[in-house]
Amino acid sequence: MDIAGALSADHLKFLADGFMVTLYIAFISIVLSFIVGILLGTLRYAKIPVVSKIVAVIIETIRNTPLLLIIFFTFFALPEVGIKLSVTVAAILALTVFESAMLAEIVRGGLNSIDKGQIEAARSSGLTYIQTLWHIVMPQALRRMIPPIVSQFISLLKDTSLCVIIALPEFMHNAQIIYAQNVNYIFPIFFVVALMYFIVNYCLSLIARRLESKQA
Amino acid sequence: MFKSKSSKLALILFLAMSMLLAACGKGEKASTGGSSKNALEQIKDKGKIVIGVKYDTRLFGLKNPTSGEVEGFDIDISKELAKAILGDEKKVEFKEVTSKTRIPMLNNGDIDAIVATMTISEERKKEVDFSDVYFMAGQSLLVKKGSPIKGLKDLKKGTKVLAVKGSTSAINIREKAPEATVLEYENYTEAFTALKSGQGDALTTDDAILYGMVDQDPKYQLVGGTFTEEPYGIAVKKGNKELVDAINDALKKMKESGKYDEIKNKWIKTN
Repeated sequence: MDIAGALSADHLKFLADGFMVTLYIAFISIVLSFIVGILLGTLRYAKIPVVSKIVAVIIETIRNTPLLLIIFFTFFALPEVGIKLSVTVAAILALTVFESAMLAEIVRGGLNSIDKGQIEAARSSGLTYIQTLWHIVMPQALRRMIPPIVSQFISLLKDTSLCVIIALPEFMHNAQIIYAQNVNYIFPIFFVVALMYFIVNYCLSLIARRLESKQA
Repeated sequence: MFKSKSSKLALILFLAMSMLLAACGKGEKASTGGSSKNALEQIKDKGKIVIGVKYDTRLFGLKNPTSGEVEGFDIDISKELAKAILGDEKKVEFKEVTSKTRIPMLNNGDIDAIVATMTISEERKKEVDFSDVYFMAGQSLLVKKGSPIKGLKDLKKGTKVLAVKGSTSAINIREKAPEATVLEYENYTEAFTALKSGQGDALTTDDAILYGMVDQDPKYQLVGGTFTEEPYGIAVKKGNKELVDAINDALKKMKESGKYDEIKNKWIKTN
């Protein structure tokens, strides 16, 4: 083990560069998959003829496929049909597709947990179905969804490391390059990598807890 | 791929959004091909050659976190190629490839050529065109000093041999030592760490890479000599005869001028 060599200033800076890529990719994927996930989850919940069925098939297909395969798909298979994406876009697309499907199920679960009596009450007081969803059901459901949604975001942040397979220059990738310099660097680097993931993800959990207690 | 129909639907939906993202500035645009000019003329028009190299392989292509540059035998050869084809060794752009991504990236037009410890094989010749051999490696075994394993014949039932995924050495060792258990790792450092932590009895890959490991930890040694020939070639997209000729010409001149030996001696130490 060579702790001083492994954790030199240059190496830490290189790791930090990778970590910024991880945060960047994760942030964009989180925003996109949150929007798409709410949309898909609501569509499936609303039981619109045909549409909800199609959405259900899409969600189930993606949800039951490993993320690694979806990453392979966006990077290796899409070019075969003429769609060329850069590594960054292919990674964001794969993560967004996968996490949207996961979030959609969380959203549907949250919506289902709201008592049907409330919907009936809102409808009989003259609100349209959309208004009922938007003003009555969704705000309550979102509050209940915070813990599972945040843990999904934490998974997403960690899952970005799978993109190492398509050589995205993210955190884990840069860590691998550092310990490729010298095999004695491997454990100190692993320790730092684990620590960084822990810090960021623990902060996410803390934010979620604060959000919950504020809204309760 | 019975599942692809519905996921395609979903993909198209999200594609528009990703395109937007790419337009927002961060996404690098893939180089576009498809004109009637041949690959060599296109490279000359662009004024640079894009070469796919490894970023994680000691001695051949390894990114240096301090300088941010990629360094190694493959890198120096690529620079010489740029010098021969475009007149300036700086007119080369490196893109990272792995054993898995290099052929798809070449065929997508992301890179013009692969210089990434790639063994010329009949199987691969169906997908890409190769230059002449630019480096002759041979597969060997790395063991801890004092190990009872002295060569291929000692790889008996129950012996664990470590190899790297997607490499020809993993395929070869299964043929040469069918009784041994082969464990495959993501990259060379992980395979070497596995050997050091006792996950396996021997590590197999090309001798040049194994010498790089001995260099890091002299408690290990190569045994049994080389038992295969691994001719490394430079790969280009199929049907680009002009580019292959230009590369072969450059390699020939490098060997004649002594530049090739200079580069080889700089990186590859056989003892």
